[in-house]
Amino acid sequence: MVRIMNRLKNIYIPLLAMLVMVQSVVAQKTGSESDYYKLTKIAAPEGVQLEGGGVLVLQDGSVAMSTRRGDVWIVENPRMEGGTKPNFRLFASGLHEPLGLSYKNGSLYTTQRGELTKLTDTNGDRIADEYETIYAWPLSTHYHEYSFGPVIAPDNSFFVSMNVAFGSEEWWRGESRVPWRGWMVNITEEGKMTPWATGMRSPAGYGLIDDELFYTDNQGDWIGSGGLWHVPKGAFIAHPAGLKWTGHPDSPVKITEEDFYSNIDKRQVRENGRYVKPSNIENEADPDFVYEMKEKFPEIQLPAVILPHGILGISNSQLLVDKSKGKFGPFDGQVFIGDQGQSKIMRVVLEKVKGEYQGVAFDFRSGFQSGVMRMDWDQYGNLFVGETNRGWGSAGTTNSGLEYVTWTGKMPFEMKTVSAKPDGFEITFTKPVDIASANDLNSYVGKNYVYKYHAVYGSPQTNIEEANIKGVKVSEDGMTVRIVMDNLRQYYVHEFTLGGILDSETGGNLLHPTMYYTLNNIPEGSKLPLNELSTKRSGTTKKTVGKSAPAKMNHNADNPNAGGAAASKKSVISDAEAGRMLTKNTCVACHQKDKRVVGPSFQAIAKRKYSDEKIVELIYNPQPKNWPEYATPMAPMPQVPRDQALKIAAWINSLN
Amino acid sequence: MRVLLIVAIIASSYGVMAQTQLSLENLDDFKSQAGNWQIVGDVSMNRNVDVHHKPAPEESKKKKKKKKEVEETPKAVDFTSGTGILLNINDDQKKDHIITNFEHGDIELELDVMLPKGSNSGIYLQGRYELQLFDSWGSKNPKYSDIGGIYRNWEKEPGKILVGIPPASNASKAPGLWQNLKLHFQAPVFDRSGNKIKNARFVYVELNGVRIHTNVDVALPTGGPIANNEVAMGPIMIQGDHGPVAIRNFKYKALKDLNAKISGLSYKTYLGEYKGIEEFEGQPAVASGSAKLIDVSATGEEDNYAIVYTGVLNIPESAEYLLSVGYTGGARLVVDNKTVVENLSSGAQGMLNEKVNLSSGTHPFTIYNYKSAGWRGPRLGFFIKGDDTNPVSFHHFNSFPDTPSGVSPILVDVAAQPKLHRGFVTFEKTGEKLSHTIGVGSPDGVHYIYDLNAANVIGVWRGDFIDATPMWHNRGNATFVPRGAVQWTFLNQPLVQLASPNSPFPDKADFSDFKPKGYAIDESTGAPVFKHEYKGVEVENRVQPDPTGTYLIHEITLSQSSPAGWYYKLAEGYIRKMSDGSFAINDQQYYVNVLSGQQAQIRTVNGVQELVVAVSGSSIKYEIIW
Repeated sequence: MVRIMNRLKNIYIPLLAMLVMVQSVVAQKTGSESDYYKLTKIAAPEGVQLEGGGVLVLQDGSVAMSTRRGDVWIVENPRMEGGTKPNFRLFASGLHEPLGLSYKNGSLYTTQRGELTKLTDTNGDRIADEYETIYAWPLSTHYHEYSFGPVIAPDNSFFVSMNVAFGSEEWWRGESRVPWRGWMVNITEEGKMTPWATGMRSPAGYGLIDDELFYTDNQGDWIGSGGLWHVPKGAFIAHPAGLKWTGHPDSPVKITEEDFYSNIDKRQVRENGRYVKPSNIENEADPDFVYEMKEKFPEIQLPAVILPHGILGISNSQLLVDKSKGKFGPFDGQVFIGDQGQSKIMRVVLEKVKGEYQGVAFDFRSGFQSGVMRMDWDQYGNLFVGETNRGWGSAGTTNSGLEYVTWTGKMPFEMKTVSAKPDGFEITFTKPVDIASANDLNSYVGKNYVYKYHAVYGSPQTNIEEANIKGVKVSEDGMTVRIVMDNLRQYYVHEFTLGGILDSETGGNLLHPTMYYTLNNIPEGSKLPLNELSTKRSGTTKKTVGKSAPAKMNHNADNPNAGGAAASKKSVISDAEAGRMLTKNTCVACHQKDKRVVGPSFQAIAKRKYSDEKIVELIYNPQPKNWPEYATPMAPMPQVPRDQALKIAAWINSLN
Repeated sequence: MRVLLIVAIIASSYGVMAQTQLSLENLDDFKSQAGNWQIVGDVSMNRNVDVHHKPAPEESKKKKKKKKEVEETPKAVDFTSGTGILLNINDDQKKDHIITNFEHGDIELELDVMLPKGSNSGIYLQGRYELQLFDSWGSKNPKYSDIGGIYRNWEKEPGKILVGIPPASNASKAPGLWQNLKLHFQAPVFDRSGNKIKNARFVYVELNGVRIHTNVDVALPTGGPIANNEVAMGPIMIQGDHGPVAIRNFKYKALKDLNAKISGLSYKTYLGEYKGIEEFEGQPAVASGSAKLIDVSATGEEDNYAIVYTGVLNIPESAEYLLSVGYTGGARLVVDNKTVVENLSSGAQGMLNEKVNLSSGTHPFTIYNYKSAGWRGPRLGFFIKGDDTNPVSFHHFNSFPDTPSGVSPILVDVAAQPKLHRGFVTFEKTGEKLSHTIGVGSPDGVHYIYDLNAANVIGVWRGDFIDATPMWHNRGNATFVPRGAVQWTFLNQPLVQLASPNSPFPDKADFSDFKPKGYAIDESTGAPVFKHEYKGVEVENRVQPDPTGTYLIHEITLSQSSPAGWYYKLAEGYIRKMSDGSFAINDQQYYVNVLSGQQAQIRTVNGVQELVVAVSGSSIKYEIIW
């Protein structure tokens, strides 16, 4: 890979801006995720559906798991050490989609759709015999009114989060039909409920970081991309549905719906007697961004970390801080966030700049058997993962399950953390980097972008700009690199792929070469003097020359095998280039080359023997009925440029 | 040609038109019989008295004592003179079956039937195919000889043996309650030489709203037919020799084939992401042609298409017809240049139905269909049905296939311990969807739904527990469906303090003084004890099957005795006090019987009768029997 990288001549070519690894290209030296983090499945008895809604490790090392089917299982001996078998006990059943579990004073607490429930075994048979309602709230009986939690707050009260419903005719519009949908609420053991914050759309993930409440949300209307938010009391996140109840005397948020919609277009349009689903306005002259609205409404809480949709998940779930003190590897104190659709776990490191949280996100571990929903640590640093895809489809091919992740003890070569600097970023590695590779600016490709704030479902990456890297400074021990650039943009996601950085020990690449930093604030302080920076670029001679005629180098340059293929048939792009195009157009959110994920594999599509033209047509105008066994219909992708769509189609057909 | 078209405005009134209801003012609709059948005004049956416990057994011992017992036993069947109900009380001499004057082929039939304890009767379609009537209350594994069973015959000769078909479940009610029976029967079909080419068939049979047969062919007459041959037309015969039976609301509709046709059918197709008809109407068509039948695949596309069919409907006789368009996407039906019915969605799925008066002769029609919804397959079908005819379809099978999706149902059953399951529940009396409801199933097969937001038992049923497919298949809608004939009760919070004895019960619980507290599981029974707090008083609700496992006993206990001004509502609807002291609710749909000693009062609030007790002591206990 490094050689391939070194042959890339022109980093300003837009194509290369999107340089993202395709797994098949990762050099052997780097190894794979499973070399460092091993997954172990805990098989459930036949007929038991472990659709994970809550996962909780208990004092004795057993794992409690609440499921969508309304059960709470206690899995004893879940690690199955020495080849022993786990024991499944049905602790509770008959609950209404309990989507979370917590422990306090001998009881388990769970959130059903309509109430916070305390489950207690009073007679010692490890079967709950009290199902006590702590607090019940109204529901309109819309299917999407999921309720999540609880999180136990530092003061021993509970946080519960409430999903929105959707409109009837405007089925795309999240709405809060009854209090307190679209909110997080605080509930005491005595059943006193206080609304805490609103602006949530689908708040499936939650947890405490530094004793502060955080949650994750999914891309959707008003949420351009999924991400992680800090939720101080009185915060307004993004989705306006919950504003319906801000007139209530208990509401800590004071923004009214009227106020809100007088500042931003609700995109509620009726034509010919029917509502028109709002769609993204291409080349929009002056799109709205949430940070602009924050100037009007200071209660708005910007995402601490954006998890770019389609790349770092498509349906973010549980967040969990690593408190294993190193038992789980080098990421102590960092935050892990699951994803249902992509069946994987991301890693986030937060820092506080100017009093607000922000930070960086990376891929961490993929390959779970189903959607990652809930996680908890055992005391030995194993990460237990409860899984479901809840009917939406997932990269993992099963509908549900329970697995755990173990650090094998081998140190992965990763970016351990990234912090913002006045003139760029400082990256710290888990192992020393090869200094020469780190000093070469061709090892770094970056861009930054932001997401729109609008009533449309999701947002494309907007205002994309290449990172203009001035130089880098590598520490003597090879553990840190300072990247200095001159186009830092506040509020934007700064994405860098360090494709050329090598492990000084093995010569391998980074296990996950891309980082995504959400720069809500640029720290004050002194900048690095330019004379301390390496500005070296391998192949610089070509750079100067190349400016005039770079185009022909764009495509097959990075794959020596691609030339043969191109020569023998019509020109088919390489896997690596396909990977970039597929990533850029977020195809990889749902498709992989050889494996069923949310959608069919590209190989399976190739077997259909569509013409290239037909595939292009299907990209623009998918026919989910052609794939009845896939639960999630593909959205039309009109934004894929036709020339790229054709290349992708030809590449897909070359897989047959 | 003059064309007449009147779009039906009040659809509800049309259902009655071709349906015949026997007046039951006299016996003129029936052939004469021995006199065991009569027309009466009201019937009341004592659910505790078995009709077969007659004095008869001629054993000499204890004869005297037996006679005395019999004398003390109340009558099983009581009636008043009047009209509206057909009642059979047979004895050893008078025990004729009753036979209708009318004869039928294909027929839709609906009636209410009441049986006393231990009785046995049957309804013979065409006098030949018997649907059994029997007091099957509490029977756990119904047989062909239980209510709703299609009876066997008694032939021994190979090839002539007919095996009985039991109902899919026992949907029966307790003796003395009205039970609703509804069915669609198709007569056998014969060719010109009189050879049978199609068996008689029960298209469906529903007992108390539960489907107990679907598409069951009956290859031969069942036992005891009016005659052994099979025919195109025959009368209905009701068995009268095995015990009392009462029948009312005897309604039927004889169905015939409809000779409606379409001609001059042509189509135009359009390609595009259409959200409405105006977006393609008048545009150049991508393709056009003529056809014999409607076929949506003429678009050549799975999605983002529009198709417009025009043709002429040929109607044999002037009458009201039900026109139906099955579709995905959006659709509009135009007949005689007037829009009959439409749904201008682009991603819907359903059936447009409208009743229209059509004169005999020709009627031009146009069907618009368009779809921009990739997740739905292309579907377009067109049907016409007269009020008393079988439907005729004008589309290719593949254009609107009549088979379901093929999803494996997710059924929840009860094992050795009671089973609890929370979920949304649709209260069928009002259609309201309730959010904080829990189904409780007992191993005895007696189940109920409890509304935690009102502390009320809102529905009871026997048989299988629940179907959770709508809840758990794919994303689900969080709703489960009981798998049995649910006896729904009412929705108020039943235990309240009233300002005066005549104040209405609140529609919804007021959560400032009503606090749901969940439930505990009773260790000995595994059953839940529901808890809530009302005005500072702790309340527990227990619902248990009776010792025979047939009906339910509901007990409410309070932490405070006789709180002032507190009332408990037991039932609402038309209420009749029965001779045994229990109450028949809502026109003999179910019984309520107070066990805890309080005097239940019938009161009328806002025109609705309610059965209410003033709370005295700290417990109210009553039976719900259905």
